[in-house]
Amino acid sequence: MKYNYENGKLVIYLEEELDISSCKVIRGVIDGYIMKYQPYELVLDLSGVKFMDSSGIGLIIGRYNLIKLLDSKMTVVNAADNIRRVIELSNIKLECVRYE
Amino acid sequence: MSKNYIRLESKANLENIASIRVCVATFLSELDIHIDELMDIKTALSEAVTNAIDHAYDEESLENKIIVETEVEDDGEIKIKVKDFGKGIEDISLAMTPAYTTKPENEHAGMGFTIMESFMDEIIVDSTVNEGTTIFLTKKIRKRKSNV
Repeated sequence: MKYNYENGKLVIYLEEELDISSCKVIRGVIDGYIMKYQPYELVLDLSGVKFMDSSGIGLIIGRYNLIKLLDSKMTVVNAADNIRRVIELSNIKLECVRYE
Repeated sequence: MSKNYIRLESKANLENIASIRVCVATFLSELDIHIDELMDIKTALSEAVTNAIDHAYDEESLENKIIVETEVEDDGEIKIKVKDFGKGIEDISLAMTPAYTTKPENEHAGMGFTIMESFMDEIIVDSTVNEGTTIFLTKKIRKRKSNV
């Protein structure tokens, strides 16, 4: 998992498949970066994600709640069509999701 | 297309979900099916298998198993059966309520059944407490890759 931190903005490039198994590991890693940098903005870039089920929704909501505690903002970008259909079924606040 | 099926038995291990997904998706990709529908089925299957493994069994054991059967009918209807032998669901309609989860501390979104209902044509849940749960998912192929 690659990431980039610059001027208060933390971008995390998620990869491969987001299911219950991978999310258990990934969320700890992302939270580590969030606590380390305490960014003003978190961007989850899904361009490298090939598959995502509701565990990925849990991952996004969990990070969103953490970022709100820091009074920062979060965006989710570059979701493929199949992942977009999963996200749209959830109650994730749509203003944080951008499809590019 | 002629009637066909594949039957998988697996230890109820979270690490096996990816293998089950890939196996069923590979089996179905032999059909004349559009990638969008294939991905939707793969996602619904992942939810059903995750439920069977993560919710049915509380303690890790080699005895814990799940069975996934995927059947293709002559008319192109796909039927998937996901069976576990775990603790069962006490209140099925509560379990199927969107955003309901018994495990919020594990960041479960409670969206599993919602995704299965949205991405498949039909879902039937058959559960007996202390005996297990079987989820039946069906979907008729509508989008053919050959027509795109």
